[in-house]
Amino acid sequence: MSLRVLNPNAEVLNKSAALHMNINAAKGLQDVLKTNLGPKGTIKMLVGGAGDIKLTKDGNTLLKEMQIQNPTAIMIARTAVAQDDTSGDGTTSTVLFIGELMKQSERYIDEGMHPRVLVDGFEIAKRATIEFLEKFKTPVVMGETPDKEILKMVARTTLRTKLYEALADQLTDIVVNAVLCIRKPDEPIDLFMVEIMHMRHKFDVDTRLVEGLVLDHGSRHPDMKRRAENCYILTCNVSLEYEKSEVNAGFFYSNAEQREKMVAAERRQVDERVKKIIELKQKVCSGNESNFVVINQKGIDPPSLDLLARAGIIALRRAKRRNMERLILACGGEAVNSVDSLTPDCLGWAGLVYEHVLGEEKYTFVENVKNPHSCTILIKGPNDHTIAQIKDAVRDGLRSVKNTLEDEAVILGAGAFEVAARQHLINNVKKTVQGRAQVGVEAFADALMVIPKTLAENSGLDTQDVIISLTNEHDRGNVVGLNHHTGEPIDPQMEGIFDNYSVKRQIINSGPVIASQLLLVDEVIRAGRNMRKPT
Amino acid sequence: MREIVTIQVGEFANYIGSHYWNFQDELLGLAEEPQGDPVYKSSSLNMDVLYRSGETAQGILTYCPRLLSIGYKGTLGSLSSSGSLSPRISQPDTSEIVTWPGNVTRYTAEPREKNIFLQSLCEEETANLTSKVTDQGSSHPQRQITDKERIECLENGVQYWTDFSKVQFHPRSLYELHGSWTDVEKFDNYGIGEEILSAGFQSEEMNERLRFFIEECDHLQGIQFIVDDSGGFSAIAAGFLEDIADEYSNTPVLLYSARSPASYKLGKSPKESVSRALHDAVSFSRLSSCCKLMVPVGLPSLSRSRFSSTLSVEDQKLFHSSAIYAASIHSVSIPFRMESHGVNAESLYISGAMDVGGMVQMLAGQARQNMITILDLAMPAQFLNDANNQSTILRSLCSLTPEIEENNDDLHSIESLIVHGAFSGGRRASISEVEKYIQTEYQNELPRPMAYHLTAASCPLPIPLPFPSIFNNRVGRRGELSTTRLGGAERRGSLEVESVPMAARLRSSSAVKPIIERRLGNLHRYGLQRGALGVELLRSWGFSKEEVEDMGEALRKMMMLLDPNADAASSEFDSD
Repeated sequence: MSLRVLNPNAEVLNKSAALHMNINAAKGLQDVLKTNLGPKGTIKMLVGGAGDIKLTKDGNTLLKEMQIQNPTAIMIARTAVAQDDTSGDGTTSTVLFIGELMKQSERYIDEGMHPRVLVDGFEIAKRATIEFLEKFKTPVVMGETPDKEILKMVARTTLRTKLYEALADQLTDIVVNAVLCIRKPDEPIDLFMVEIMHMRHKFDVDTRLVEGLVLDHGSRHPDMKRRAENCYILTCNVSLEYEKSEVNAGFFYSNAEQREKMVAAERRQVDERVKKIIELKQKVCSGNESNFVVINQKGIDPPSLDLLARAGIIALRRAKRRNMERLILACGGEAVNSVDSLTPDCLGWAGLVYEHVLGEEKYTFVENVKNPHSCTILIKGPNDHTIAQIKDAVRDGLRSVKNTLEDEAVILGAGAFEVAARQHLINNVKKTVQGRAQVGVEAFADALMVIPKTLAENSGLDTQDVIISLTNEHDRGNVVGLNHHTGEPIDPQMEGIFDNYSVKRQIINSGPVIASQLLLVDEVIRAGRNMRKPT
Repeated sequence: MREIVTIQVGEFANYIGSHYWNFQDELLGLAEEPQGDPVYKSSSLNMDVLYRSGETAQGILTYCPRLLSIGYKGTLGSLSSSGSLSPRISQPDTSEIVTWPGNVTRYTAEPREKNIFLQSLCEEETANLTSKVTDQGSSHPQRQITDKERIECLENGVQYWTDFSKVQFHPRSLYELHGSWTDVEKFDNYGIGEEILSAGFQSEEMNERLRFFIEECDHLQGIQFIVDDSGGFSAIAAGFLEDIADEYSNTPVLLYSARSPASYKLGKSPKESVSRALHDAVSFSRLSSCCKLMVPVGLPSLSRSRFSSTLSVEDQKLFHSSAIYAASIHSVSIPFRMESHGVNAESLYISGAMDVGGMVQMLAGQARQNMITILDLAMPAQFLNDANNQSTILRSLCSLTPEIEENNDDLHSIESLIVHGAFSGGRRASISEVEKYIQTEYQNELPRPMAYHLTAASCPLPIPLPFPSIFNNRVGRRGELSTTRLGGAERRGSLEVESVPMAARLRSSSAVKPIIERRLGNLHRYGLQRGALGVELLRSWGFSKEEVEDMGEALRKMMMLLDPNADAASSEFDSD
């Protein structure tokens, strides 16, 4: 059902019908994403009309693949995807939370409660929950040497919800080491400095962290070495190809000879540039065993490649712009834009540079670098959909590590926060609220429970039993999460299950905002009508 | 040999591209045919300019277009976005999943059926393979599908541009944009495209794919870029062009901004028409600012244009109209891929080779620096020395660029004319005949352009099977035009017509003034004047007032280039 179904000529819109339409849309979306949640969730295999396969256990990816037409559902989906954009995770939780807020509200609205009252309660509950979150969070100090164990626990918690345990654990080390590699004191973490490269080759378990860089192209000359040790790396953005320059192209040659001369002169300019590079190579490499590698952002044409090859230089052209930055961080040296001021100081260094060929795809590995501040996660897998799924998981893992470093705090997972926050709202906050807004607080508190409930449901456990045993255990004064194997309460701290603070905070913040908008539905409808009115 | 990379952005651009690559594929096939017409074998056109050799992961050699096609998700029809080369998994099985031990739910979209044409292509391919293996093809008692049925199925039911494509695409060639739940029908203005581009890694992925094709080029001569200018794709193209200008600063870009006849039907209500007018203005200004030569094409109706004397096009079918634009782009690209083996060889089959940079320089780099160019076409081109018919090649050229001044006598115009496959009397004209004939024609032509360049080739435009039946019954088997109507069907297609001689012309002329004028006017009326109707809209598309003013300024400068006296006329806009 969509807004369009409603009669546009209706003077008085049936508000209750519109409200229920919103509630149903939210519930519908919740139903689709619900099974995603947690380490026992269901993976989705999407097969497109032309046979394309996509695998995902990620709410964000799934939402983007879905064709959503219902405007309410689109609104929720946008919020959830925005959640992922800002914090890197929590798409599924956001959708579940909004859906549950709507579901809880439905009960009260059917009993005649005005949505406004609920919305007021949401607002109070939200503020109280955020305050509670501040108290509940586990601060972690991230100084010069961050606590690697806690970072691993957070990354593992995320990754285990996307991939099988052994692979998740393998990737945990990879993502943590990757983020620590690019981290610089007193600077924000730029995850772009971790290159994510993939090869359709071997198996998922061959995925590894390359300390250094993997480029998705190779040298373009048959005589250049395919493997070299002790390499000086020249990172440059200098055109080494003959091209008609702007100035000369407009020049009209009076005869063929003159034209030949012009062409020769321009060729000479390019050759000069190449010669300067060769000179530098000879300066630093003569009398020792070292090699010289040029990685250029601009083009290198065959005559230039020839000259370089003859001088024993390995040259790569058309490198990614971002790799210019990464190379410097990985190998040292500086990126040069002109060959006029070449000095040995411009050069970086790598212990090993080699090429790997897979069919028509070539890869160049720049490895064994000193003190790298950039690295590559090389994902391997037998087919595209496996690679894509691992890639999504790696991105989420990297974000979770970055968040932890920046938040300097984590939240106990496995539903522990939700159970604790609900009890706090019911036992402490509700009493302080005057009047009927209490109902809103209660609805909010119950809606939080959607996370442990869904975790239990996905594990095939009885949700009622689980919730009762969790709340009982909590009321005994313990922090409890759900053991998804047994349904028994566990201490997430002991199990090492941690979530990101900023992700949770974002969910608590954005969920009620959207739910409130959807509940106060008459405003939405009116806006829709205005849009349709011809001007 | 100097490579060209082709980029197609948007639905209509992909329709055009699909026909374009079919022509190339046909040329490749005809050159290999043992009993084929020698004109194709010795065409002296180097296909490596447009194609790349490679191999699949299975080690099978491939020859694919250097192409990046960008479309909206779901517009590839039955073709997988990883192209037709990678092996298809017929029955996607959940046991394929190695990364998750838990539950699996499978959602299977209804499979898109291949039409008869595509099915028969597939069968042909497997038949080729099996006959190689078993030496004697197992005689299937299968009913043979006739060419007629194939053509009919295309005439009646092309839904996607892939429906009539016989080309194999590289796995990196086809990129589908995710629209974050934007209705395809609402993807009709500049603002919405801007939104999509900014979301996620999409523009990065586009740049990466382009880099893949450019990295392997030794001497990239340029990029030919076709954009569907009717909606959100303009913004996507503009963003992409900006990145290209940044990254490959010396590479010339030849941009065709194409509009389908259907796009002229959009925007009926007053509010929509403001949005259309502003879209046109913004898109024109942005696109022209980041390419070297821009060729706007796309008449509101081909059936009611001068082309109706030889062609009968159904305007509502993209399959039809796109074929004409593809043919014209094919002709324009002929000089870019001529092989020069020294002077003698050249004059036999080809003459007037030019690279993209040279073309751009000639048309837009001269004194006037006008980079908005008109595309004219004659399809089929007239016979040379046709005694019965008075019209000459030059006169028979009609514009595919809309909104231009019809009878413009610009003394400073510069033209690049491409004639290929022309006839003289009953036989193919030699290159020197064409040269002589065109020279005489230009001498008799008034007003004469300031400069012209002629490219001639002996190779005509081959008509591949999936070409629409759009020739009327004056067009003969080899594209010859008769004054009387031939017998047979009203509409003639690939079964009746094998090839056609073509003439196409790029023309830098002040006749483009109305295009710029109208856009500049609309920008002022709806976007800049006090209380203008579209100010809010432009803001919602993400343009500040200053940016809109800059666009207006850029358009005004373009006007000035064409007509230095226009300053006085346009000052009326300043008064408010």
